[in-house]
Parts: sequence; structure tokens; C-alpha cells
Amino acid sequence: MLSQLMTLYRRRLRLLAGSPRELLVPLTTPLLFALVIAPALNDSLGSFNPKINYMTFVSVATVVLLVPLNALFTGISVFADREHGGLRELLAAPLPRWLVPLGNVLATLTITAFQVVVLMLAAVARGATLHTDAIGLLWFAVATVLLAATVAAIAEVLAFRARSQEEYVGIIPAIAIVPWFFAGSLFPIDVLPKGLAGVAKVLPSTHALALMRHGLVGGSPSGLQAIWGNHSETALAAASLAVLAGFTALLIGVAMQVFRRSALQ
Amino acid sequence: MNRTTTPSGTTGQPPAILPTGSGIWVRELCKTYAGGIEALRGVSFEVRRGEAFGLLGPNGAGKSTTIGILTTTVRPTSGKVLLAGHDVAREAIAARRVSGIVFQDSVLDGALSGRANLTLHARLWGVPKDRAKQRMAELVETMGLAEVIDRPARSYSGGQRRRLEIARAVLSEPRVLFLDEPTVGLDPAIRHELWALIQDLSARQGLTILLTTHYLDEAERLCDRIAIMHAGRIVALDSPANLLAGLGAEILEVDAAGAADALRGALRDSGLPVENALAIGSVLTIPLQDGQGDLAVRRLREAALPIRSIAVRRPTLDDVYLRHTGARLAA
Repeated sequence: MLSQLMTLYRRRLRLLAGSPRELLVPLTTPLLFALVIAPALNDSLGSFNPKINYMTFVSVATVVLLVPLNALFTGISVFADREHGGLRELLAAPLPRWLVPLGNVLATLTITAFQVVVLMLAAVARGATLHTDAIGLLWFAVATVLLAATVAAIAEVLAFRARSQEEYVGIIPAIAIVPWFFAGSLFPIDVLPKGLAGVAKVLPSTHALALMRHGLVGGSPSGLQAIWGNHSETALAAASLAVLAGFTALLIGVAMQVFRRSALQ
Repeated sequence: MNRTTTPSGTTGQPPAILPTGSGIWVRELCKTYAGGIEALRGVSFEVRRGEAFGLLGPNGAGKSTTIGILTTTVRPTSGKVLLAGHDVAREAIAARRVSGIVFQDSVLDGALSGRANLTLHARLWGVPKDRAKQRMAELVETMGLAEVIDRPARSYSGGQRRRLEIARAVLSEPRVLFLDEPTVGLDPAIRHELWALIQDLSARQGLTILLTTHYLDEAERLCDRIAIMHAGRIVALDSPANLLAGLGAEILEVDAAGAADALRGALRDSGLPVENALAIGSVLTIPLQDGQGDLAVRRLREAALPIRSIAVRRPTLDDVYLRHTGARLAA
């Protein structure tokens, strides 16, 4: 079964990253934010928190823009499988069918990992200041993986539910970009109107971003206190991790169910 | 030792000795889709090991649903299916392992080379690496794909794609091969070429083949037996020769231009059998015994009826289909 999973994973990876262009295009917008817009805002507006410069604040947030964009773009390949028949060959194969979406998610995570590393290296080279250690990197990595898996699951659902590729592509901004603005990417969520701040607190991207900042920067800039109030930073991080993991489990469950129903008439 | 039997087919239960060697055994298969569409209404048949069996019928007859159930992508509402001895409902993975399928539409990964498509299939079906390499070399040669096998599949012509898909389907040496309208949309020369390849593979590997098609010549050429499907049921099942023989030696086809009753009367008066005449629009088709056709034509000319056209020809599967369904299979 592991061999079949790796075969599915390698197939998806080859279809998704067959050329450097397919790997680098999703990086364009986050890189623009991290390397051009964040420094420009930092220079013109300064910082709102003495413990972090604005460029670092936004640079970490660009990961929360990149991960959903990438995961949703990879879903287009799943949609193409459904529309153009590749899925049928996989469904006819002698393997448990849940391996098919799992292989897709693993491929998405691999590409996402590559892109996040490129993005963060570029941000640091441009002047982002990180204060982290092995544990901090682990928090960051876990948050990134969970967010990627969550959005990859959403992408699977959309790939099986969208009536056309145009409809699928049209949904991408609503899922990848709109939550980014509410997640505390450009400003802390506690400056939002109360109702919107409440919405922001239940978004997985808000918890993911807070965990990433907790891992890479630490302290009050993380945004964990804006979500939960004043408690121990580690306890708050654990709470956000639980919320994010809950979203991941829920959406993967939904994706599996949708896949099963769509695959078997 | 593999043993094959012919199930009784009357009880709806699997035979006492299951056809574990190979073959397909289908009993009382029903499928009703959401919305109440009845695609299958009690389909039963058996395909013996090494036999090529055709499901013939127009769109909507239930062919694709049948093949979907046999390949475990459609869940039956009721009924039972054994594939090389495996119950497709309870042993789906085992059933898929002994199956190969060529889908109606091309389902290659266009961005990958032909070789990568074959390798992917071999790995998913668990073909050992050395065996896969050997099989791929053989099949690439047999299918005439050597020159293109390392090119992206999207650059293949329609015939090359089909040949690659057939090679892929038999790569894992399946016991049962499903061909879902394998030559639809291809030009006649390529269709004949593919038929020869399928016959060659079938003969060499002893494959059990289930073919769906709405091409009569394809069914006649490739199939040992044919089931004609109509509205979710099998309405006739036999070898092509027996199905045709059931119609007699000749078919009289007359466009009677509204004079059908007078025409029948003229033929009846001549002692010709008109009780099996079938009218589709203004055209009457009448099965006759050998030599009766010339007599019928003479009598109708003598009767000076307003006839637009008249012909005597050999019966075809289209006539068989007409007899059983009252509709024409091929336009």
C-alpha cells in the first residue's frame, strides 16, 4: 500500500511541478508582498509594536497567503483529473481509494514546503528579522503543514463539486485571499471592528498565522493574545494548535466523504 | 487448479463451483440512479474464460452502467457480480487486480510520456519491476509505439493514444479485459488495425473480454457472443451467427410509401411469410428464406404498388436489434 501511495504521490508531483514555471508562479504574489510591499510599508509607516518591525510582521504573514494559494492551485490538477478522465484510471486500480486524495495532499505539502522555504529565505535576505530556535521552527512547520492540509482538503472538495474549471478558479480569491486580510496579516486583529474580529478568531488562517509568528518571532506580536486574551504564550499556542488541527481533521474527513461519494456512483 | 462451470442462471445464486479460473458471472443486476432513473432492470449473463463477449446497444441501453458496476465504479442497487471468482461488492480490490480496462474516452496523463503512463499503471497494479520492464518492451513493440513511447502522451494521434491505452490495460496481464467502446471516434483504418491488435492479444493471452459497442461490425468481428441491450435489459443473447440465423437467409426491405397493407396482401397471396414483417416509418423489413427474395420482388413489381425502393439483402445485427426492440441500432 505504501508503494502505491508513493506512486500516486509521485504522479501528482510530476503533474503539478513538471516545470519550474509551475513551481514558481504561485510564489509571485507572496514574494511581491514580502520583498516589495512589506519593506515599503515599513519605511513609510514604521512599526506598531516595538518587538517587531513591520517588514518581519508582514513577511511571516505572506506564508498564510502562499500556502492556500498553492494548495488551491494544485486542486486544479485534481479537477482536471476528474474532468479529463485520469481519475477513472486511478479508481480502477487495485488500491484503497482513500489513497488517491492522500497522495494529492502529500504532493501539495511537498511543493508548499519548497515554496515556503524559498519565501522565507528571500524575506530574511531582504531584511526580515526572525528570533527562533528548533522548537520555534517546529511550531512554524506544524502550523504550515496543518494549514496546507486544511486548504488542500478544501481544494479536493471544490475539485469534486465545482461544475467547471472557471467556477473553481473563481472561488480561489474568496478562500485564499479574503481570509488573509482578516487573519492579522497586515494589522493585528484587535484593531478590527468587534464583529469582524470575532469572525477573524474562528478562521483557521488566523490561528495558523499566530502559530507561525509564535514560532518565528515569539511574544506579543504573534497575535495569540489578540485571539485568546492574556495567558501563557505556550498555552495559547496549544489552544490555537488544537483549533487548527480540529479544522484539518474536519475538512479532511469532509474531503474523504465527498471523494467517496463522487468516485462511486 | 482452476475450474470453470456454467452457472445455472436460474436461481439468482452463484453456482456451486464458482468460476474462479476467470470469466464474468452476472445475476439480476439492477441499478437505479438518484432521481429514479432505472439504468439496469435485472441483467444476467455469463462470460466464459477466454471468451469475447459483446454488449451491444444504443446510448442509454445500460452498457456503460454494466461496465461501471463490473469495474467497481458504480454501486449496483441489487444483484450479484463475480469477476474471475471475486465478488465485486465484497472483494473490490481483488476484482480490480484481475481487471484491465480501456475507457470510452481517453484517460491518459497527457503531460507524461507514454512510458511514464505505462510505468504508473504497472506500479499501481503491483507488477514486479523486472516483469513490468519486459511487458512494456513487448507491448510497445506489439502496439507499434516504439518511436513515440518517450514523447508526452498529449502529442499522440488518436490511434496512438488508443494503442497506448490498450497496452496499459493488458500490461498487468489481467484475466478480464473491459473495452468500453474502444474504437469510437476513430477512422475506419485505425479501427480495423485495433481490432487486429485486440484479437491478437486475446488469442495470445487467453483473455476474457467484455466489449461494449454500438458498432455492429465491431461486435461481429471481435465477439464470440453478443448480448443486445435495450432500456436496461438484455433482449437477445447468442453468437452473432445464431442471432443472424434466427432471421432467415434474406431480408426484403421495401419502402412502401403508405401502401404497407396492400404490399403485405400481395406477398401473402404469393405464399410468402409476412407475419414477421416489421414497419419502421414507411419501410417494411421482412425476413425470408433463401431464394424467396427474388420471388417477392417479382410479385411486388407485378402488383404495381407505389413502391419507392426495394432491396433484398443478407440480414445484419441491425435487423436482429430491430426485431427485439423495434428501433434501429445504427442510424
